[in-house]
Amino acid sequence: MIEVEHLSKSYGNLHAVRDLSFSVADGEILGFLGPNGAGKTTTMRILTGFLPATSGTARIAGFDVHDRSMEVRQRIGYLPENPPLYPEMTVEGFLHFVARIKGVSAGDRTNRVNIAISRCGLVEYRKTLVRKLSKGYRQRVGIAQAIVHDPPVIVLDEPTVGLDPRQIIEVRHLIKSLAGDRTIILSTHILPEVSMTCSQVAIINRGKLVTTDTLDNLMGQLTGGTTYDIEVGGDVDGVESAIQSYLGNLPEVQSVEPLSNAELPEYRFRFRVKAEPGCEPGSEIAAAVLHGNLKLFEMRRTRASLEEIFLQLTTEEKSEEMLEEVSRETSEEVSVVGSESSDTDLSDATSTIAIAPEGEPSQISDTTHSETSNDGDADDFSDEDENDTSKSEA
Amino acid sequence: MKQVLSNIIAIYRKELQSYFVSPLAMAIAGIFWLIAGFFFTTILLDPQRGILAQVAAQTAMESQMGVEAPPIDVPYQFMQFFLSTIASLSLFILPILSMGLYAEERKRGTLELLATSPLYNWTVATGKLLGVVTFYATLTAPLLLYEAITFSSAEPPFPPTIPLLGHLGLILLAASVLSLGMFVSSLTDSTILSAVLTFALILFLWVINLIAENIGGAFGEALGHLSLLENYNTLVQGIVDTSSIILFASYIFLGIFLTAQSIEALRFQRS
Repeated sequence: MIEVEHLSKSYGNLHAVRDLSFSVADGEILGFLGPNGAGKTTTMRILTGFLPATSGTARIAGFDVHDRSMEVRQRIGYLPENPPLYPEMTVEGFLHFVARIKGVSAGDRTNRVNIAISRCGLVEYRKTLVRKLSKGYRQRVGIAQAIVHDPPVIVLDEPTVGLDPRQIIEVRHLIKSLAGDRTIILSTHILPEVSMTCSQVAIINRGKLVTTDTLDNLMGQLTGGTTYDIEVGGDVDGVESAIQSYLGNLPEVQSVEPLSNAELPEYRFRFRVKAEPGCEPGSEIAAAVLHGNLKLFEMRRTRASLEEIFLQLTTEEKSEEMLEEVSRETSEEVSVVGSESSDTDLSDATSTIAIAPEGEPSQISDTTHSETSNDGDADDFSDEDENDTSKSEA
Repeated sequence: MKQVLSNIIAIYRKELQSYFVSPLAMAIAGIFWLIAGFFFTTILLDPQRGILAQVAAQTAMESQMGVEAPPIDVPYQFMQFFLSTIASLSLFILPILSMGLYAEERKRGTLELLATSPLYNWTVATGKLLGVVTFYATLTAPLLLYEAITFSSAEPPFPPTIPLLGHLGLILLAASVLSLGMFVSSLTDSTILSAVLTFALILFLWVINLIAENIGGAFGEALGHLSLLENYNTLVQGIVDTSSIILFASYIFLGIFLTAQSIEALRFQRS
């Protein structure tokens, strides 16, 4: 349905999009993922015919977006970054206007507008002036104008920006419900959105396509070995290297590497233990630590999440190494990013197994939280799950 | 074709609708009517400079001197004077009407909606121009009523074609200015800048005949024909001059054409 081939766009010296190629089949939802300024909006504007490409072609339903612009425009619904609304119009009046300029026949218009209004939950606001709506409702009107003419292709540029968590969930459900016979591209820099709604992911960074695959494949390529971050204490000099070789000799452990312990008190060390693929030697490691008379302060199982893939793929130095190299090396960077972004919660991707207060080796606690968040389900990152787990913890 | 017409009507209706709720449009209408009404009464009735007072003074003088002067066509004189005053007033109002036509769409991002809808650029421009011209026509319509009431007492009866033609000229003049103003508006995101540039442009076209006279020669003469005011005055005098109407039509089409081109170009250079 959507075919993009070697698309490039530059503004003077700035290359917004470079040699971008991907395609979206009928009925797919493509998540277009990238950091801010990666070229997402530019790509979408080219797809919708708002901007011409510098080189390369894009086709929607077989029509070139530039040469057959009118045919393309009839077939797309587009929600730009800022919803294009006329503040002085009522919701209903505005949607009627959009339906009309999109070429919906007069007899069909009222019906189409009503469908869009009820789909986007705007029934109570149909007579309200757009000017008086809150940001979230304006966004809904924006989505409504994108679907009012029932287009086969829908392009949504960051549809959930500015919404409250509840509205975000509603919009995601709405997007999911739109799928089926429609093809949807949605751009976002919010990762959970992709795992929630999309069947396919395209990650772009600095105008270049980093990878495009189905979400399952992308996640599947990363189910290598598990790693554990552990923090242990010992009060003898030179204990660090001893611990390292001690843990390294455990069965099912592939490697042990020391992590920075700059912020730790004296005689505490952090290691990253990498397990053999397919093994889960967590309890053995914990037992060995206790057996060796070491103090276990923290032990955490980490697994690659979409965040990590994303960071791995979009972090400058590492973008070339791509998927083969996706491992846990970035988990520190992940935690930084995870804490910055309200929507990504690292605790979903990594589960705390044990935290011992005051240096006492403690029992290993395994909550439902760590269970659910480790099963690799895409829903890991959803807001609902966050709410659920926080409830169960409480 | 039917679709194109439907699109023009859709844009036209949207524009008209926006005037009904726009405080700016209300303010402009209020001020325009106030000032136009003031000029109307002053030009007609002012005890010193009013046209009736002047005629009375002249008649008194003639009877004193005993000279038979040619009679003055009061309604005709009044029409010319009044309509050129209204035209000057419009010089200030038209840039304000045209400034937001595209600048506002650009600023609000709604241009992205229009540009990604199956609409031709000239369709949008035509719809918008029709909308704003209709608004201006609404502003001037009550003046026609004033004139009708006044001229109903004229003796001998004053032919209604003269004010009608004058008003047609006024609307053509406004449409030309608004069309060019729409083009200026499509060049910028700033409504104020758009208004200032439009004002400068129409001021230039207003007095281009004065410049042309200074230049002289064939070029000067050709330039003189481009003057908005000259051609407007022809119509106000009650002369249906095809060349004037063609000139106004050319300005209107030029404005629509340039607007469509500028929107197209906008898509190529946006950064």
